[in-house]
Order: sequence, then structure tokens, then C-alpha cells
Amino acid sequence: MARRTQIHVGLEIGTSKTCMVVGEIKADSAVKILGIGVTKTAGIRKGEIYDFAQARACLKDALAKAEDASNVQIGSVYLAVTGAHLQGVNNCGTYRLPDGEPVVATEHVEEARNIAREVLIPRDHAFLHSIVRNYRLDGLEHSTSPVGLFGKTVEADFHIVHGIATRIQNSIKLVREMPLEVDEIVFSPIATAQMALDREHREGGALVIDIGGGTTDYALYLNGAIAASGCIPVGGDHVTNDIHLVTGLPFSKADRLKIMEGDASSDLARSVGIAKLTDDRGFAEVEVERSILNEVIRQRLEETLKLVRARLPAGAVEQIGSGIFLTGGTSLMRGFSELAFDVFGRDIYRPEPPEVSGVQASFKDPHYATAIGLIRYAQILETERAGPAGMFKKLGRMIWPFGK
Amino acid sequence: MIPYARDPQQTIPSSTVKIIGLGGAGSNMLERIALDGMEDAELLGLNTDARTLSTCLAREKIQLGSNLTRGLGAGGDPGLGHQAVLEVESEIRSSIRGRKIVFICVGLGGGTGSGAAPIITRIAREEGAFVVVFATMPFAFEGLRRREQAETALNELAVLANALVTFDNNRMGELVLAKQGIHEAFTAADHMIGEAIKAVLRLVIRPGIINVGLDELMSALRTNRSRCLFGSGIANGKDRAAKALKNALNSPLLDQGSLLKTAQTVLVHLSGGPDLTLFEIELLMQRLQKFVPDDAQILFGAAIDQGMGDSLSITLISALPEDSLATSQRASLSHQAPENLIPDPIDELPSPQPRKASATRDAVAPETNHDAEALPLFSTEPETPKSGKHVASFTFTADESASETMMDEPEPAAMFEDKPESEALDASITPLDSASSSEVLLEMPVAPVDAEHPKLKLGIKSSGPQAELSLDSLNRGRFEGETPNVFEGEDLDLPPFLRKKK
Repeated sequence: MARRTQIHVGLEIGTSKTCMVVGEIKADSAVKILGIGVTKTAGIRKGEIYDFAQARACLKDALAKAEDASNVQIGSVYLAVTGAHLQGVNNCGTYRLPDGEPVVATEHVEEARNIAREVLIPRDHAFLHSIVRNYRLDGLEHSTSPVGLFGKTVEADFHIVHGIATRIQNSIKLVREMPLEVDEIVFSPIATAQMALDREHREGGALVIDIGGGTTDYALYLNGAIAASGCIPVGGDHVTNDIHLVTGLPFSKADRLKIMEGDASSDLARSVGIAKLTDDRGFAEVEVERSILNEVIRQRLEETLKLVRARLPAGAVEQIGSGIFLTGGTSLMRGFSELAFDVFGRDIYRPEPPEVSGVQASFKDPHYATAIGLIRYAQILETERAGPAGMFKKLGRMIWPFGK
Repeated sequence: MIPYARDPQQTIPSSTVKIIGLGGAGSNMLERIALDGMEDAELLGLNTDARTLSTCLAREKIQLGSNLTRGLGAGGDPGLGHQAVLEVESEIRSSIRGRKIVFICVGLGGGTGSGAAPIITRIAREEGAFVVVFATMPFAFEGLRRREQAETALNELAVLANALVTFDNNRMGELVLAKQGIHEAFTAADHMIGEAIKAVLRLVIRPGIINVGLDELMSALRTNRSRCLFGSGIANGKDRAAKALKNALNSPLLDQGSLLKTAQTVLVHLSGGPDLTLFEIELLMQRLQKFVPDDAQILFGAAIDQGMGDSLSITLISALPEDSLATSQRASLSHQAPENLIPDPIDELPSPQPRKASATRDAVAPETNHDAEALPLFSTEPETPKSGKHVASFTFTADESASETMMDEPEPAAMFEDKPESEALDASITPLDSASSSEVLLEMPVAPVDAEHPKLKLGIKSSGPQAELSLDSLNRGRFEGETPNVFEGEDLDLPPFLRKKK
């Protein structure tokens, strides 16, 4: 069914940068990036707002840039949120069919879904997502809804993401003050995974790790369905901070040193000599032994990856067949793939975004993975919602076969 | 937190527990129990067959009817089993004396089991013990005769025992896969019974934060001719509450929890490591609500056990009348008249009072009062950490309320006698039990005093190395002044380079 092109806007308010991506979903469901607005963020730490006014100013700037670049008036956005308070849990709802009803009906499945959603969350938390993973009918797995089949017990596996309600509300408030509307809130790693993984990757088992400035978000997909997601409040900022604390260099220099010279692999050959930063006139202004610099970086990132690994369900790493997909700014660190391989022992990829056209250079960049993933998420949501509407339209067209 | 010593007297030392395996099937169960890591419990093997008895793992063995059968079995004749046990009645009596809980494991249908079990149950009751009988019913293919013998014995046991748990061998097929060997099937069945015993012991012996004791157990099992519903599950890691409940409901005696739908009283006992959270308990109980009727009485108990590590175990105990007719009778639990009308074994004492007729009539009337009063009393008593020397034997006052009228009997005196004994044994029990429970990863029996101690130590420990590392004085750079980003005891805002170098 041919539809008009849709324009969606993805907004990620990250610890290091605020990124707004304007994407166009064409009639053939291809995505074209119309423009990107990026500015350096202030007022966000570890994925959470700590200075509302500064964050608002940054968002305003990003909005202006994105509107300029794309020539689109932005009215609403898909918002990615992250933070250590967000947690993903799996919950299974079981519903036994009443006696005398051998066939699973829609309301039975609905009941199982409701039971699964009834996971007890702390009082101040709110639900962000409840994504169905799969259904089971008398213990047999069904990836789609088992309505109409014979059975006794319907089970629905859900992945539920929840977080502290007020913090999520504040993120929404920030966007509303632009003023912009929020179409949907999405947990960052889930948005990133939309872009990083295709169906085959998910079937084979894949882990997306998005190491950003302040947080490390991860989402694990096994057998085509999400199995775990979460956020660890450690990111690139911590690496910089570590360098600052160990070497005593100021932040700006520590950051430059990290980007220009740092290496996370445990390769000894890369830790020989002295890392130097030169100023404008070519004089060396900073000198740090590479062995120390690399060790500081490696230990931090290794610990972070191990934390991710520890949080995954038991035996999950062994089930990852497709590999581990690294995104986020910190994943650009030299030697990071080797380190990730050391920790997980799985194939490591930097995802290449598929079927996206537009400003080529930018979406190859893992910095924008989450924001572009939001566009994909919007697209998927749109097709899901379009389903029933399409039926009505079809009916309408039978009566009045003109117009769009 | 200020640790205080909870009175160990509240609990029943495991040394006053006896597990009896009767007959061939019983000694098999006993073996399984011993192999499953309960060697410390007092095991008593009883059999007519000297050969089987000699290979039995129990520390204590009594051969039944050595004159009557001359070391051979009872040959499937309950009459022979009955006579055989009478031969050694005094030996058995002295072996059981002073035990507060007696478990009798028996396979009904044969000679020794069917014939001797009712007698031994009676002896145990007469000695003042709380008797739980685990009986297996014969396979259908063993024929009607055997079935009838088993039914007869079961009827007697239902009246005599405090609690009767039956397992039908015909359901054994549900425990294992069809292709698995027969020994695995029997092992699984015996294992299940062993688990049940352990669960009951855990419940009664160990004190909990929310305590459940014999009184609760009794009200959970208070049905005549009942089928005991039992489920026990253990799980660890993420989502352990849900997993443990699922495992518990998987027990064949629960049929995925569907049998709980008509239960009136359900006893739930939870135990976990020090990290057991209220949140988890809430979650678990909320889930359980879906399986039990709204008006069911839920007797809830929880215990913290250092030995559990990060695992959580749940035990469900309930009883269901075998015939639906009994449901109406049981519907009013507060009326305990039918229960008390069960001829108490004490009434059938071999040496009756001269004024027995009037005495028993007197006994029945105060008994009902007694129970009604005593029950709420019991539920509060274990919670109060007062110096309750008499609390130790609290569970038996209800049982023995009838014996008040027979004060001149030697029995009550014996009961008072064993009090200091049990007290003295308390001290020795702790190491004994910890050895056994650490193996099976069940609750640790350590008194709450011990339970609170390590926690306190832990607190010191975690602050100790931090002080050594002088992390407090360490600059946190950009994250200065923020709430520490603590994950598993480490501040993630500090460089691992400095943290791990040490």
C-alpha cells in the first residue's frame, strides 16, 4: 500500500552531545536523513539532567541547527532516554484457559499479556516499554500470537523497561519547553539496536553496546527477541576523568590525549614510548608515558565491559552467534575491538547502517547511531499502527475509490 | 542494627527429630534421605527382613519379629507385620522417647509396612511426638489385594498421625521421562519425600524473621484423609523469585499449581540469603495469589539464612481432602470439633485411667477450648524474644492437652524431663546442622544471633579496605561532590587504575 512519505525526528540528549536527526521515510520504506543538528551538551551527567537551564539552551541550539539543515519545521520528536535508573526485566505471564474452552481466544492472550505486565516495580518507577518477546502454548514456543490454536496454558514473555518516573518526566518537560511534542520515549539501547541490528543478527543472537559519554547502554537480542537491556553509568567521561586523576592533566588536555593517543588494547607494542601533545607552535606541551595512559584507559573500559557481561543473563554470552555491535563515541577508541574480544570472546562489529541515504558521512558515525535508530523505531511503530487503519481505508476505498 | 540474641528455645533442636524408615520401601526412602545429606538426622531403620536391614544406611536399626519370621520378610501379610512389631514394642518406644517430631516413611501394601506402620505411629504419638507419615501407595499393577491392604493401613494412619502425606506410585511416571530407568523413577520419588521432610524440618527447626512453627504446619495440614500438597523450589540469580515459585509449582504433588485452587490453607515458607528483599517477597506472594483462592488462609514465614548465598527457596505446604465431600467439612476451619473428635491415641493408652470414661469425656470438652485459645497464642509466642523456657515445649501442649487429665501418668513427667536435655543439646546442634545444610544449600539452622553477626562484620569489612585505600581523600575530578556511583561495592567514578592497583 503506497503511502505518503513521513518525516520523523529523533532526539538524543546525550551526556556529551545533543543530537537531533530529521529523517524521511519514503514510500518504499527507505530512510533518508534530511539533516542533523548537533551541539555539545552541558548540564547532563551520566545521561541525566543536572542543570536544566543549560540543557535547555543546548537543546534549543540543536533544534535550530536541525531545522536549518533539513529545512523542516519540527513539531514533534522521538526522544531517547537513558540513565542508570532504567532497568530491563523479563517477565512471563501465564494464563490457564478456563475449563471448556480448548481454543485460545484473543482475550486469553490479552489476559496473559496483562499478567506479564503486572511485574512489581518500585513505587516511584514507571513503565517505559513492554515488548513481547514470544508466546508459549503449553510450553511450546510461538513467536506470534497463538490465537485460534488449541491449548491449555498461554504464556507471554515480556521484556519490560522501567525507570524513575520523575526523571523521565523531566526529560519530557525539557523537550516540551522548546516547544516540541514528544511522540514516544524510547530507551536508548533499544533505539540503537533498531539501527545496528537487522533481523538476521537478532535471530542469531546479538549484543549492542553503546558506549557514550556518560553511560554505557546495552541491549541483548537472542532468538529474534530482546532478552536484556540496561544502562551502566560509566562512559567516555570516566576515561577522561581517570586520565585527569592519574596524570594530573587538566580535563581538556586529558580529553585530547585520550582521543589522539589513547589505546585500549592490551597490546604491549602499542604501549612503548611517550605520548605527546603538541601545541599550535609545534612544541610538546604534554608528555605522558604510553604504558600508563593505555593502562588507565584499558582498565576503565575493561571494567565497563565486564560489568555489562556480568549483567547479562547466565549463559547469554555463549548464545551470541551474530556478534557484538559496538556504537557510541567511545567505541571509536583505538584497540577497543580487541579489548571487547578479550572480554566477550565473540565477533566484534562496528555496525554499518543499512538502507539509509542522505548525508553519508554523518550516519556512518557511531555518534549518531541512537538518533538514527530512533527514526527506524518510529518507522516500525508507524507500520504497526498503520495496520488497522489500512483496513478502514481499504473499506473506504471500496465505497469511494478516488482520492488518496 | 543492634543484634540481640533471640531465644534458641523457640526452636526445636534437630536432635529431637527422628526419621523412621519402615519396611523395604521405607528403608529405600531412608537411604535416599541419608544420601541427600541428612546423615546427621537420627535415622531409624525398621524391617522384618534381616538381609535388607543389614544393608540399610541408618545408624540405628531394629529388626522386627526376629522370633516370628526368623529374619525373613513378612511375606506381604500385614497380620505378620503387626505381630512382629509388637515383639519389639518396648525397644521402639525407648528409641522414640523424647523425640518431638517423628517422621515415618513407609511403603504401604506389603506386610511390614502396612502391618507395622499404624502401631509405630501410635507408639510415637503416645511418646508425645508430632508424627508425620509419608506413605507411598502401591502401583495399580500390584493388584487389588495389595491396594486394599494399603487402603486399610492408610485409613488407620489417617486417624493416628498428625499429618499424613501420601504419594501414589502410579504418579511416579510424572516424575521422570518415560525412557529413564526404573531406579531413577524410584530415586526421584524418594528424593521428593526427602525434600518434603527437609522442608518440614526447616520450617519447624529454624527460627525466621516471620516465624512459622508446628502450629501453623498443623493448621495447614488439618484435614482428615487428606492429600498433602507439597512443593519446594530453589532458584538464584535474576528473577529468582519467579523461578523459585515456578520450580515449587512444578512439583507433581501440585500439578502446576492447579491443585492449590481449592486449598483453604496454604503454608508458604521463604528463605533466602541476607540479600532477600521485601520487594522480592511481595513479588512472589503476589504471583502466588493467582494460584490460591482469595479467601484462603495464607500462613507465611520467612527466614534469612547466610548459607543460602544469593539463592531463594520457597516451600508450599497445603492439604486437600481426597474426596470433595470433605471440603464442606473443612470449609469452617475455625470449628475444630470434627478434628478433635478423632480418637486421640492417648485415649487408647494401654494403661487406661480407672475413671477413663469420664476422663475422656472431660478431656474432649476442654480440648476444644484449649485449641481455640492456644492457636492465636502460639502465633504470637514465637515472635516475642522473651526468655521462654516453657516455650520450648509449646507445640506439645496442644497435643497433650488431653493428657492433663492424666497427670499421674509417667508421660508428662518425661516431657518435662526432656526440657533441660533439649536445652543442652541446643548448643551442640549448630555445628552439626550447618555441615548438613551447607551441602544441600538449604536454610542454615544457625541461631539468629549468628545470622546477624556476619552482617555486622560485613559492614566493617566493606569500610575497612576503603579506609586503607584512603579513597575518601581521593579526588574524584569531574564527579566531585556527586553521589557516589557505587556498583557492587566499588565506586565507579574512581579510576580502576587506582582502585585495582592497591
